[in-house]
Amino acid sequence: MKGTFSPKKRLAETHEKETQGVRNPFEEFQAFTFQETTLPLDQIIESTELVMDQIRRGYEKLLEEEAKELVWMVQYNTIIKAYEVAEKHVREIDYSAEDIEDFCFALENTQKIPYFIPGPAGLYISALCNYAKEQEILLKLSELKTEINLIGFRLPKGKRLVIEGDAGDFTGIGLEGGELVVEGNTKNWTGAGMRGGKILVKKNIGLHTGEWMMGGEIYVGGRIRGLGNIVEGKVFERDKLVYPGKARHPNLYY
Amino acid sequence: MEEKRYQAIIEKIWPRLKRKHLYPEIPIPKVGEVPPRDREGEEKGEAVGLEMKQKQITINSTFLSNMKDKMAEENVIEALLDHGITHYTFCPWDFHTHLMLYAEAKKIMGDKEMAKQAANYFIDVTADTYCVKKKFTEIPELHRVLKKGVVEKIIASLYEKIWGVNLGILEARTDKKGHEEVVRRLARIPYLDRSRWSESVKKFARSLKPLLLEEQREEEAMGGKGDSNPQGDHDLNYYSYEEIDQGLRDYAKKTMALPEFKDIVEDFSEELKEAGYGMEGGMGRGRGTPIDADVLFYMKLAESYSMPLKKVPMEEKGDLHPHSHSPWEVGSPFQDMDIWTSFGKIMPGITQIWKKREGKGRGKIDSTPDCLIAIDSSGSMINPRKNLSYAVLGAACATNAYLRNDAKVAVYNFSDAPMGGKDILHYTDNPAEIYQVLCKYFGGGTALDMEDLVPLIQGRKNLDLFIITDMKITNLEALIGFFGQIQNRVTAVHIGENPYAARFQRAVERKRNISIFTVKRKEDIPHIVLGKIGEYFCATHKN
Repeated sequence: MKGTFSPKKRLAETHEKETQGVRNPFEEFQAFTFQETTLPLDQIIESTELVMDQIRRGYEKLLEEEAKELVWMVQYNTIIKAYEVAEKHVREIDYSAEDIEDFCFALENTQKIPYFIPGPAGLYISALCNYAKEQEILLKLSELKTEINLIGFRLPKGKRLVIEGDAGDFTGIGLEGGELVVEGNTKNWTGAGMRGGKILVKKNIGLHTGEWMMGGEIYVGGRIRGLGNIVEGKVFERDKLVYPGKARHPNLYY
Repeated sequence: MEEKRYQAIIEKIWPRLKRKHLYPEIPIPKVGEVPPRDREGEEKGEAVGLEMKQKQITINSTFLSNMKDKMAEENVIEALLDHGITHYTFCPWDFHTHLMLYAEAKKIMGDKEMAKQAANYFIDVTADTYCVKKKFTEIPELHRVLKKGVVEKIIASLYEKIWGVNLGILEARTDKKGHEEVVRRLARIPYLDRSRWSESVKKFARSLKPLLLEEQREEEAMGGKGDSNPQGDHDLNYYSYEEIDQGLRDYAKKTMALPEFKDIVEDFSEELKEAGYGMEGGMGRGRGTPIDADVLFYMKLAESYSMPLKKVPMEEKGDLHPHSHSPWEVGSPFQDMDIWTSFGKIMPGITQIWKKREGKGRGKIDSTPDCLIAIDSSGSMINPRKNLSYAVLGAACATNAYLRNDAKVAVYNFSDAPMGGKDILHYTDNPAEIYQVLCKYFGGGTALDMEDLVPLIQGRKNLDLFIITDMKITNLEALIGFFGQIQNRVTAVHIGENPYAARFQRAVERKRNISIFTVKRKEDIPHIVLGKIGEYFCATHKN
């Protein structure tokens, strides 16, 4: 058996002979080293995604607990309870004001968040704003297709929340001394039950404005469609004091 | 002399650069003068670094001379080329992506010029970030030495934050607090994730909007329009005619929304006209007339669908023979020249060539007959100039199918025809004219005037009929009667289901020369087979 070649070896030799002088077109890539640099951007994106996942999970848990049948009614006790649950989840997350804005846009993306229920979503965003590290929060929401309800709920003293765009119903209800600026319009029940602080709406405002308001001020740059039953506080329309005042009746269309 | 030296540097580094960028299919860059964008009443701004026209990169020699004292020439050239090549290999990649980025930016900015600016900044940041991450590049060094305006400073701060390099901005910054916030927002955008670009460009534009507005106000106050982008502007010159064509086709297909497409075409109308788009003088080329965005939308969308067309045997077999003369143009075949009428000279304008025609023979070959398209534009149909009309899209696809097969098309666009609600186009092979008539909308009642159809059909032995309607025709019985008399191949397409369509279907079901198709969705359009008749195969065999 010694000295005999195996057929495999013979085949390899024949192949070697045949390919002598033929150049491998990819030869020069043997020395090619592809080195990717890790940029700070990668880390920023990674941590942003992580935080967004946590915020999203918190919202989903809130829906699981408070809107089991994906139905949620705006009532005094449901608002209080949902906000408490939102607070509980929000406290565990380390986020920034930009994360809140990203979450608002993610709500409209059904691939990211399958259920957008305006009430709990608004309370959750309010909790995020109230527990944010920043004293001033700017949310650029002009391109949002749906207005968020209940935004600015219980905004505490020392916080300033600026919303670029419109806000929905129950904006700034139960305000607790903070300053809420809406650069667009707001709908009905704005500032209802607020105890103190300031709401500034640059454009128009809906019905029941300041219903059961206990204190604070509401400034409206445009027109007020209707005032609610105000207990205490001040309401201005285009720099003119309309409450307290004798000329206005609750929810009068004018 | 300088230019030659720069060219020598390019020739030296080009093989290495090509290898670095995995051999992009672009020609070797040139050195030349690239004038800054001239705008009316504007002083000449800072020289731009490079220009890319139809894949040819030109490095500006003036820019290189200006940068001589700040950075090594070879490094400047390499950085500029890295930037230019990355536009080709990563962002925007193609014209469709460019359009998409612009359209998304416009949703935020509202203004055309500002949307273009925002999209351009996004494209630059993405391309440069890609380069810095994936290749060894001198781009950061170039940014360190470039002259910067307010927005450029913000972008440079962004680079410092996301690339982790010092571009000398941090120390020099005495800007407002708001700028920090802008940089923080911009740094959160996943520039390198192509699948999220549409969302990312919106976020980018939203963050940069106040600054761009501020800059615009300042420039207006100064009476100018600002400096050109030192890394070159991104306009349509960058793309070839074919790339623009493909891009528009893809954009029309992707959006399927006429208003969005119309918006884009109107915004880029000047550039598109420069690129050769217009409706006069043939297949969408020409100058001087405004671009009809609606027509262009259906043209591009129809190109994405193909309808099979069955040919019929026609007696036109024979050899080619010289028939008439036409002027010779550079590029025309020499063998067709007629030396007798050209006075022995080869010169455009004097030389003539023979135009050849097919002679009549005894054999039969398959060919495509001309087609008469009848399209319903009554009130029950969708207005093609407001929303996507499947009727016009279907008719446009049919038009393309016949024109591609060297046949001619006539159009009968009807609403209440006896009352004058009609438009007739005689047989032509000019797609622009056909599309114009197809896109016409009357929006009135629905009635056909058979007397209009007779002259279009008479005397034509081989002719196909294509009718597209919702069948809600007042004189449907007359139409059924008319179709009962003719032997031509008829393709009848009805949009949606209704009792009138069912009545028509029942009435003509025994006629083997009539094929009926229903279009409910755009996906149904390619299923239409033009001129599909049962006798076709038998007829071929008999001959």
